[in-house]
Amino acid sequence: MEKQNKQNENVSTENNSTKPDDGIIVLKNVTKQFGNNVVLDNISLAIEKGKTTVVIGPSGCGKTVLLKHMIVLQRPTSGEVYFKGQRIDDLDDKDLNGIRAHFGYLFQAGALFDSLSVAENIMFPVRQHCQITRFSAVEELVRNKLKMVGLDGLQSFYPANLSGGQRKRVALARAIALDPEVILYDEPTTGLDPIRADTINELILKLERELHVTSVAVTHDMKSAYKIADRIIMLHHGKIIADGDADYIRNHSDLVVQQFIEGEVSKKELEQLQKTNAANPARPVTRKIDD
Amino acid sequence: MRGMIGAALIKIGEGVSSAGQFGRFVWRSAVTSAESIARSETYPLIWAQMLLIGVRSVPVIMITGAFVGMTLAVQAYDQLAGMGLEEHLGVLINVSVVKELGPVLAAVMLAGRIGGALTAELGTMNVTEQIDAIESMGTDPVKYLVAPRVLACLLLTPALIIYADLLGIIGGWFVSVVQLHINARAYWSFSAYGVELWDVGCGVIKGFFFGGAIAVISCYKGFHCKEGARGVGQACTEAFVMSFIVILIIDFALVVVFKAIYSSFWPLRSMVG
Repeated sequence: MEKQNKQNENVSTENNSTKPDDGIIVLKNVTKQFGNNVVLDNISLAIEKGKTTVVIGPSGCGKTVLLKHMIVLQRPTSGEVYFKGQRIDDLDDKDLNGIRAHFGYLFQAGALFDSLSVAENIMFPVRQHCQITRFSAVEELVRNKLKMVGLDGLQSFYPANLSGGQRKRVALARAIALDPEVILYDEPTTGLDPIRADTINELILKLERELHVTSVAVTHDMKSAYKIADRIIMLHHGKIIADGDADYIRNHSDLVVQQFIEGEVSKKELEQLQKTNAANPARPVTRKIDD
Repeated sequence: MRGMIGAALIKIGEGVSSAGQFGRFVWRSAVTSAESIARSETYPLIWAQMLLIGVRSVPVIMITGAFVGMTLAVQAYDQLAGMGLEEHLGVLINVSVVKELGPVLAAVMLAGRIGGALTAELGTMNVTEQIDAIESMGTDPVKYLVAPRVLACLLLTPALIIYADLLGIIGGWFVSVVQLHINARAYWSFSAYGVELWDVGCGVIKGFFFGGAIAVISCYKGFHCKEGARGVGQACTEAFVMSFIVILIIDFALVVVFKAIYSSFWPLRSMVG
């Protein structure tokens, strides 16, 4: 794995001449607005095949929205999305369903179907896309996928009976059920303890090694980003402000990037915090104290 | 003043936009449900929904029907007895139950029981990204979630209305004959004379429309509910209120249509008879 201090020259914010066949997924001048709120602002980006791209950025900067555009769970207000050279943002839902079978998506909270067992959750995409002739083959597939995430034996459990980490791993098993070419991870380590978070990181690396999948992960966990990323993109106010490998991001000169990766509050926000006194008696509701 | 006009225009725009969104959802649900009838892989999903929507609603529907019949008997007895027409009580009770009160009250009860459950279930799936997950796996959520529920409601609401009618008739009979000692033979013979198959059919056909409306409205509210527990709760309330109003509107529209059809064909029927 090449880990040089290298900026990604393939695509950057300044370069909006991204071509549809520059990567397996290409976003070309994508803008997304919710009312007057511009969440993605003219983003152009190409995701390289077989690599792990990590999108970082503060909460609410549009990371998940960007991820959802890659699989067209949300359609851009303007701009184009391509998958393997084919424009997909203008396809109707029927055609999109065929395209989406090439993707696996790990949702932030797992999004497991709580009315289905672990085995049924993993079988779900198989049932939808494959002609099942032998049920034992599907059971074998479920066992294999659960083995990959280290949870074989939990087939009959329901999501409510699983811990947060187990839910994420089952969701990952479901995401890889159809052997997708691309796996999209939305905050894969959020809400997990450091050991469980590292288990998920190792699983992501394992899938990249063993299945040669293209991965795009959205996170604000820098430890995870440094561990799994071939390339890191930082989003801020709907724009890409940094794009390169881990070392490039570590040594980036931009103050916003440095504050984010170091987990430091900005001077302005710190001043505001210091101005407000936690013990300020001017509270809107005063508590009655009985003598 | 300008601000108020602007705000009013924005509200109207939002209203038109949500009406359009609802219209598209209804159309998509109708088309997908029609397509699903031909697909055998949808049958297990419809079957599961029929169990939840239909079978588990039977007790509450039967209780509703029984009390409608019994209450009507108690209320109407004094008026008819005052004119010496108490033996005609069966006609009044049974026509009211099978034509109007049975179907409408059963549908309102279903809007609360099924509509609330559907909206809460789909709303929770929406806020926990389960609907997005279905879509991300290349499955149409309307086909997987909405069509089985719509078809189960369409098929089972008329059946549940028949149960409500039946228990309404039994409830009316119980109070009239057992409690108020009206002659049973007279009660049933007047009822048989006054209640036509047409009356029962009208009630059952209404059930088909009520069921479709309850399912589509509840699914729409679930699919478009706002985030959080408050969002799901609000969606459930909106689904019930909207279903209730739509049931009343459909009922009125169908009564007008049925009356027009009945008036057109009544002379023909007497000629044949």
